[in-house]
Amino acid sequence: MRTILALVRKEFYQVFRDRNMLRMIFLMPMIQLLILGYAINVDVKNIRTAFYDYDNSSLSREYIRDFSSGGYFITTASDIPLPDVNEAFTENRFDAAIIIPEDFSENIYTGQGVTAGMIVDATNANSAAISMGYAGLITARFNSDYSALASPITMRQRLLYNPEAESVYYMVPGIVAVLLTMITVMLTSMAIVREREMGTLEQLMVTPISTPAFILGKTIPFAILGYIEMSIALAFGILWFNIPFAGSWLLLYGVAFVFLFTTLGVGMFISTVTGTQQQAMFFAWFFSIFAILTSGFFNPISNMPESVQYLTYLNPLRYFMAIVRGIMMKGAGVLELYRDIGSLVVFSLSIFTFAWMRFSKRVE
Amino acid sequence: MHKIIHIARKEIMHIRRDVRSLFIAILMPLLMTFLYGYAINLDIKNIKLGVLDFDKSVESRELVTKYFSSGYFIPAESQVQLDDPERVLKLTDAHVVLVIKPGFAEALANRTEYQVGLLLDGADANLAAAAGNYAAAVFNQYLVSMLPPGMELPGVTMSHQVLYNPDLKSSHFFVPGLVGVILMMISALLTSITIAREKETGTLEQLLTSPVTPRQIIIGKVLPYIGLALFDGLLVYGFAILHFHVPMTGSNLLLFVFGVIYVIAALSIGVLISTLVKTQQLAMMAALTVTMLPSVMLSGFVFEIKNMPLFLQWVTSIIPAKYFILIIRGIMLKGSGIEVLWPQAAVLIVMTLVLLGIAAKKFKMKIG
Repeated sequence: MRTILALVRKEFYQVFRDRNMLRMIFLMPMIQLLILGYAINVDVKNIRTAFYDYDNSSLSREYIRDFSSGGYFITTASDIPLPDVNEAFTENRFDAAIIIPEDFSENIYTGQGVTAGMIVDATNANSAAISMGYAGLITARFNSDYSALASPITMRQRLLYNPEAESVYYMVPGIVAVLLTMITVMLTSMAIVREREMGTLEQLMVTPISTPAFILGKTIPFAILGYIEMSIALAFGILWFNIPFAGSWLLLYGVAFVFLFTTLGVGMFISTVTGTQQQAMFFAWFFSIFAILTSGFFNPISNMPESVQYLTYLNPLRYFMAIVRGIMMKGAGVLELYRDIGSLVVFSLSIFTFAWMRFSKRVE
Repeated sequence: MHKIIHIARKEIMHIRRDVRSLFIAILMPLLMTFLYGYAINLDIKNIKLGVLDFDKSVESRELVTKYFSSGYFIPAESQVQLDDPERVLKLTDAHVVLVIKPGFAEALANRTEYQVGLLLDGADANLAAAAGNYAAAVFNQYLVSMLPPGMELPGVTMSHQVLYNPDLKSSHFFVPGLVGVILMMISALLTSITIAREKETGTLEQLLTSPVTPRQIIIGKVLPYIGLALFDGLLVYGFAILHFHVPMTGSNLLLFVFGVIYVIAALSIGVLISTLVKTQQLAMMAALTVTMLPSVMLSGFVFEIKNMPLFLQWVTSIIPAKYFILIIRGIMLKGSGIEVLWPQAAVLIVMTLVLLGIAAKKFKMKIG
């Protein structure tokens, strides 16, 4: 026990001896939260749209108003004649153009129907698809406004858990999970490999420190650091972004403890297959990118191709992500999360045990 | 010149000896290409819909069928014995629950007031917004299809013309942008770590006591990484063209020239970081925070800059990746030439000169 404590203390000395490292450890979660909290917004808004209204009637203006009042489309003045409109797209002056033919109102009043044109810049395919969807919806509403058939049957929608529809409420819990993964995997693997690179691992091995004591001495500091990072991120998220916390803190920190076995285990495993810090960093990073992109962090897993969806089941971060979001946003407890928690426990224990065994073998 | 080549050769030997790093340096772009090409698709589809149909009429079943045939909704896992929509949302994997109370068919026939309920899981605000919009659209379509014959309204229909990416493939958007991200990643991260490594192991002093100038050391150390970065960039570019069939409508030469400028800018950032830090761990964390994260998140690679708050939009203007991604998308998808892209190129060149200047000065000061 004493030896472990001494090793932990040594590791902390090493990390904090460098003032810059200390700054980095506190700054990193805040910078990440600030950037990600504000930048991640896949909602399509502010579609710069040029309107070519050849009808110029009250009805066509009404149609344009429907577009600009929804918050999705913003009207952009265009001094470019319609035949040269492609030029404006190449120069990235606007994202869409809507063309209203001159017989627009006439054909609507006489009940003949009319076709309005829409040109979209599909460089960003996702935004283009969504903006066409919006345009279709606005047109459908316009149509029902101008028919006597306005239906008495309506649909009422209600948002649960996040009534203001703030995407930052969803991203911050996700960032907490991502931070915890990246920091612990990278720092653990690099710290162990560093001893090897510097040649101090041999020195440690000739001291009466047992292998388990060495492993614990190398992992506990980063578990603590991970907790600190997570707490900073949570505090910052709650104080700065005012994200609600609906569930149990105890459960969150408890599950984080289980998850740490995964990341520390992965870090330890990486240290057994690499010889330099650069390699360790690279491997850790490779793991992190895979884990983050297939965790459902910024796009829903149900949206991925089926083969990739199966792959995500092998990703422990996927379960942790769902758990953190469930606890923080929905106030979910063990009853709702038992499947995710169960999978996480199984993954964590097996990864950690495997890494431990491999590491012990390597050292002896 | 001779000395630079020697330093470069030494660095190449370092890289070649370290097969595992090289392996990852090549595998990483492939993994990212695969994930961004296939897994990341922000267009929302396959929304899991739970249904509570208390009306159990032909009409209500028809409405439900309409939802599942729309292409946006798929059935959530079955919810036996659940009749409270909130519990369905909580206990199953449903994103959305459609509630049809008794009386739907009747209301439809008699044209009386009636409300269909839709409960959305708002946790993922983006998903919820899309789901709400699609649900309303499908519902409207259903109502129109139920109108008696002769009463359908011609109204306005829309015809779409889709420019640059008619099949709306998101890989056409992501994969070219990925070239920018990968180039930044390899250049900034690897260089910052190699110089920090010489410092950490104490070999930098040895190098400095030899008759090479600091400038020669930097240039020599950086040259091989230009090669590696460009190789990775070409790899992703090749995948984009051959595998994802991203069109190349512009000039390859122009793209290559801008690519080299961008790589030099990225390398300067790496050198700058390495002069400020002492350990590889710190170099890695700093490179990750100031280059990787902004290059992925603030460059318009995935998330559109115009949707960000104003102050963050200002921040994005100091991110080199933003300009390169605009350039590569412009050249590949839109066939833009220098007459359109010169402002972006100018910013990149100015940035490169400034960064190189600062990095050279700092490096000299540090060792002087």
